[in-house]
Amino acid sequence: MKEKKSIGKLLLGTWDTKTIVGVAIGAALFGVLMCFGGIRIFSNTSLTSAMIVIPVVAGLFGPLPAALAAGIGNVLADLIGGWGFWFDWSIGNAVLGFIVGLLPVYGARIDEGIFTAKHIVIYIITVVVGNVVAFGMVTPLFTYFFYSGELAITWMQGFSAILSNGAVLIVIGAPLLYLLAKRNAKKTNLEEDK
Amino acid sequence: MELTKRLFINVIPGTTFLDRLTGRTKVRLFLAFILLLIATWDMRIILPIFVVSLVGLASIRPNWRLMAGLAGFIALTNLFNLLLIWLVEQGYGDTLVGGSHVLVHVGRHYVLTAETLWYFAVRFLKFMATFLVSITFIQSITPSEIAAGLYALHVPYKVATIVSIAFRYIPEITRDFSDIKISMQARGMELDSRKTNLFKRLKQNIVILVPLIIVSFDRIGNIANAMDLRGYGNGKTRTYYSEHEMTPRDHKMRVCYTLLYVALAAVLVGRIFFPGPYVVWAPWI
Repeated sequence: MKEKKSIGKLLLGTWDTKTIVGVAIGAALFGVLMCFGGIRIFSNTSLTSAMIVIPVVAGLFGPLPAALAAGIGNVLADLIGGWGFWFDWSIGNAVLGFIVGLLPVYGARIDEGIFTAKHIVIYIITVVVGNVVAFGMVTPLFTYFFYSGELAITWMQGFSAILSNGAVLIVIGAPLLYLLAKRNAKKTNLEEDK
Repeated sequence: MELTKRLFINVIPGTTFLDRLTGRTKVRLFLAFILLLIATWDMRIILPIFVVSLVGLASIRPNWRLMAGLAGFIALTNLFNLLLIWLVEQGYGDTLVGGSHVLVHVGRHYVLTAETLWYFAVRFLKFMATFLVSITFIQSITPSEIAAGLYALHVPYKVATIVSIAFRYIPEITRDFSDIKISMQARGMELDSRKTNLFKRLKQNIVILVPLIIVSFDRIGNIANAMDLRGYGNGKTRTYYSEHEMTPRDHKMRVCYTLLYVALAAVLVGRIFFPGPYVVWAPWI
């Protein structure tokens, strides 16, 4: 058994080499999936599977690493995608990453195979709250600061982003987390000899 | 377009003028262009940046066939976005440019005003310039130089490492992604979007996603061990092997990006303290 970590430590994550590489790979995966792994539904918003990276990184490393992976991943996607840089959305995705990434804080530990019905319910709640806060409040706020001319588009895109990201995170995310937890549980099923 | 051809990064610096700048100059120059492009809606600034970035791209002697294909794809995407905006709100540019001169009537309900057309032209050029600046940056920098450049901007070196590793592994992950896709197709999965419905495509996305996530995250242990073995993260500061000393070209470019930052500051001050009635400048207003 691992020792119990304090809330602060759980929120920030432990910044060892493994976390740094994990966040980097998560960000790269986020960027690649954002560019190629989506089904387009509205201008610049799509049913993107990139969102799945958030709970996976969070399950392994915690909320702040997930937020960084999503934020940096989005900037990299902007860099290779060619649709321009939208830092308001990168910040929104980072906020979403932090809120949805609260997994280890409420006790779901994907790397140790712990993901029960209770955790699924809390996960779904964080997905809904996180999306509304990120794309209904944070992103439009920064759009207003950075790109004043684009606010009307952001509202439309924000609405479709809330729906599509929420759908992806719940419909694909929850079963995937369950599968990954089950896969990891097999590995951690050793017991200490007394 | 083939995914793997689209993403390519240099690991060894090239030999042209831009390639031989230091990482810090490259990152600062790139940020200056991008921030200025984000801040402004003024054609008088966007058009010169567009031309300069085109010259910049030409100077690193890229693979032109690839660039043309890429630029065409990006242009089409942006035009499609503009079409969507126009369909939703035909007078979109009117409030931003100021004024409403109807050019053509399309059908009974759709009108195209000169202001909207001007706004679309500005927006299109703005994003094409952003694309050109980005692609020139990607083509002329190595992952290590990105880290060095960010570190020189006082970004914590662990964050700089994250960015450089992510940048380094994007082509790798893209290759895995298309490999998995091809092997799924070989097993009979229909990926043509015209032949499958939305629900099926979602399901296919998961089928590709699970192996991709497992393969990607299995790498973490190897990379982290390799870094730990070389003593990564022991010091409070970090130096970069790829970062050479400032050369005369770096000093020349420093003048350039300083001017760009001055222009950026001027644009921001103008927008915050002396906001005009309209966001987008047009020659006839």
